[in-house]
Amino acid sequence: MKKPLHKHIGQGAKRVGRHFTKYLYERDTIFATVWVFIFIVGLSNIPLNLYVLNPLKMGLKDFDYTDLAYAELKKGKDSKIDSNIVIINIGHADRELLSMIIDKTAENNPKVMALDAVFYEPGDSQPDSLLSASIGKHKNLIAATKLILSGKDGDTISTSGDYFKNAATYGYVNFFSDELASLRYYDPFMKDYKGTTYNSFTSAIIQAYDPAAFKKIKKKEGKQVQINYERTVDKYQVIEYENLLTGSFERKAIEGKIALLGYINRDPSDILDKKFTPMNERFAGKSRPDMNGIVAHANIISMVLGKNYIKKVPSWVNLLISIVVCWLFMSFFIRYYLENHIWFHLVAKVIQVAAVLLFAYLGIFCFDEFNIKLDMKLSLIVIIMAVDVIYFYEAWAVWMHKKFHYHTIFKPHHH
Amino acid sequence: MKKLNFLIVLSVLGFAARAQNSSFLLYSFKGNVSVVENNIESKAKVGKTMNSAATIKVGPSSVVTLICNEAAMFTLTKAGTYKLNQFGDSCKVSSNSVSANYVKYVWAQMTKPSGSAGSNRKAYMNNVGAVTRGVNNIWIDPRLDTVNYSGGEFPLSWKSYADAKEFDFFLYNSSNIAEPFYSTTVTKLKISIPAFTSRMKPGETYYWVAAVKGEENDERKVLNYVTKETFNTILDSILKQGAQFEAPAEQAYRIAFMLEDAHYLSEAYQYYSKAATLDSGNALYRSTLMSFKKDYEIK
Repeated sequence: MKKPLHKHIGQGAKRVGRHFTKYLYERDTIFATVWVFIFIVGLSNIPLNLYVLNPLKMGLKDFDYTDLAYAELKKGKDSKIDSNIVIINIGHADRELLSMIIDKTAENNPKVMALDAVFYEPGDSQPDSLLSASIGKHKNLIAATKLILSGKDGDTISTSGDYFKNAATYGYVNFFSDELASLRYYDPFMKDYKGTTYNSFTSAIIQAYDPAAFKKIKKKEGKQVQINYERTVDKYQVIEYENLLTGSFERKAIEGKIALLGYINRDPSDILDKKFTPMNERFAGKSRPDMNGIVAHANIISMVLGKNYIKKVPSWVNLLISIVVCWLFMSFFIRYYLENHIWFHLVAKVIQVAAVLLFAYLGIFCFDEFNIKLDMKLSLIVIIMAVDVIYFYEAWAVWMHKKFHYHTIFKPHHH
Repeated sequence: MKKLNFLIVLSVLGFAARAQNSSFLLYSFKGNVSVVENNIESKAKVGKTMNSAATIKVGPSSVVTLICNEAAMFTLTKAGTYKLNQFGDSCKVSSNSVSANYVKYVWAQMTKPSGSAGSNRKAYMNNVGAVTRGVNNIWIDPRLDTVNYSGGEFPLSWKSYADAKEFDFFLYNSSNIAEPFYSTTVTKLKISIPAFTSRMKPGETYYWVAAVKGEENDERKVLNYVTKETFNTILDSILKQGAQFEAPAEQAYRIAFMLEDAHYLSEAYQYYSKAATLDSGNALYRSTLMSFKKDYEIK
């Protein structure tokens, strides 16, 4: 009598399961797993940069698997326009024009206005007077400043870029990250050695717009926060300053909202104030920065107002996952090593490729579905190292057997 | 049965309500754009929200970008009057499954041939090391300016420097070369003249141009739609110029050559074909016909 299909599948699954579990509780499997981690710790503590001439390592230094979610898997494409924020494109407006833009924006009663421009030195007297008057007049205007960190520990803070000193509130616009790397994290607050806290540009905006959301972000003081990018420039209402000044816009587009006054340029060749972000369509290799700074600020504000933070899995959980993964795969590899050695390398390579695809998917899935950042890098490393460690372990176990009668399933020159 | 009917009515009403409830946000515009709501026309304003009962008027050389239901963005670039309820399809937001896209991506990457600049020169020769100065993305063979046409199958063709999939074709009256009286979008790099002859009058001069969809091209080319009588007069004069003992194939070839010289390209094609058919063993006739077809993108 023929067996039904589900029984075939069930038996097949059991057989594969046995491949993983046959040697699972063997002392050799556990010790080989331990050796994998000893090697990882040893290699990671070599005080030399062994990748100095490795272009692959250098090229992928800024790579994160979750970038694939944006670049290739269309994460964020379905995001709705954020109705809390309107961006006024200041283009290349000079100080006099900026003054007019601020005043015109203020006429339309935004709840908060924020000017994403820094001024390092005095300009012509008349435009400076006009801009200074505009900045001082509107108490809901947040001005940008740049923090300068000095001192041995970098905890002496001074400000620059705030030539106009009469704004009601300032927020710093620094992103403490490599200018040529993807902008993934930001510091919502900075504290100097005296304990004075400085609000970032976005934190200052949120404090004025939504005190409840501010309380939540305030709890993250002293930490770097990962930015949850969900929107490109097209997902924010942008009003060109020409339209603003000629009245070609609806008042309700600004009224009661956060009006971000910043520079927008959609021309990919114009990289003024553009940052690399995980939303870049080219996630590895040479590329062009993709997002204007003001849009990055807008994404931070959207994240905080929407309480859409990325939850990072603690390092000990990632370590625990990698130990379990290493143990399971070590058991599987040892089974092939001892019983089907002729197939060992082929199976190991196939499993390594499959594991890369699976773990990358798991990381992307958790990131997309639950905003959870699961770092599977260590799990991948242990699978890759496990294959080489088996050879070392075999030699070590046989030597231990000869010297100390260590009980092992490996036999001298068994293959 | 009653329950089924009730369900059908309910779902139809549901769909209708959804279509009716689409809201549109005027995201940006350039040029002359106005909005008609409740029979009142007003100038377009950025940030204006409209329901699907509204109408939007787009003037010549104007552009308007709308966002439907806060998510789906689309742009209107052609002059005209558009009722917003006709954009139901544009309101659909594709629900991107990251898992499905991941499988597609992995499969595409695994099966993608690894191309290199050396192995596929055609694909990698678009990297131009120079600036552009007002050169548009479309190149039209100067031989297609001017075309005299009296009838027959013949395409107007062009070449594109851009990796575009759609092209706009515009046809202008000689009295108004600013406003096309006929325009269409094509996916090929050519359009057959008979596709728009019904819109032209014999004896009139027209101008045409092709552009990458959404772009502009002001290099107008002339198309003379000549009457049959005019063409026959020219043909007669060409016929009279023949030698006394001219074979039919030779005559057809000569006529074709002279017609091509006179920019009667469609008619020249007919005579080149005739010459090659009448003397199929003649390599010159065959190769000339092949070259002619290649030059003018005749398939």
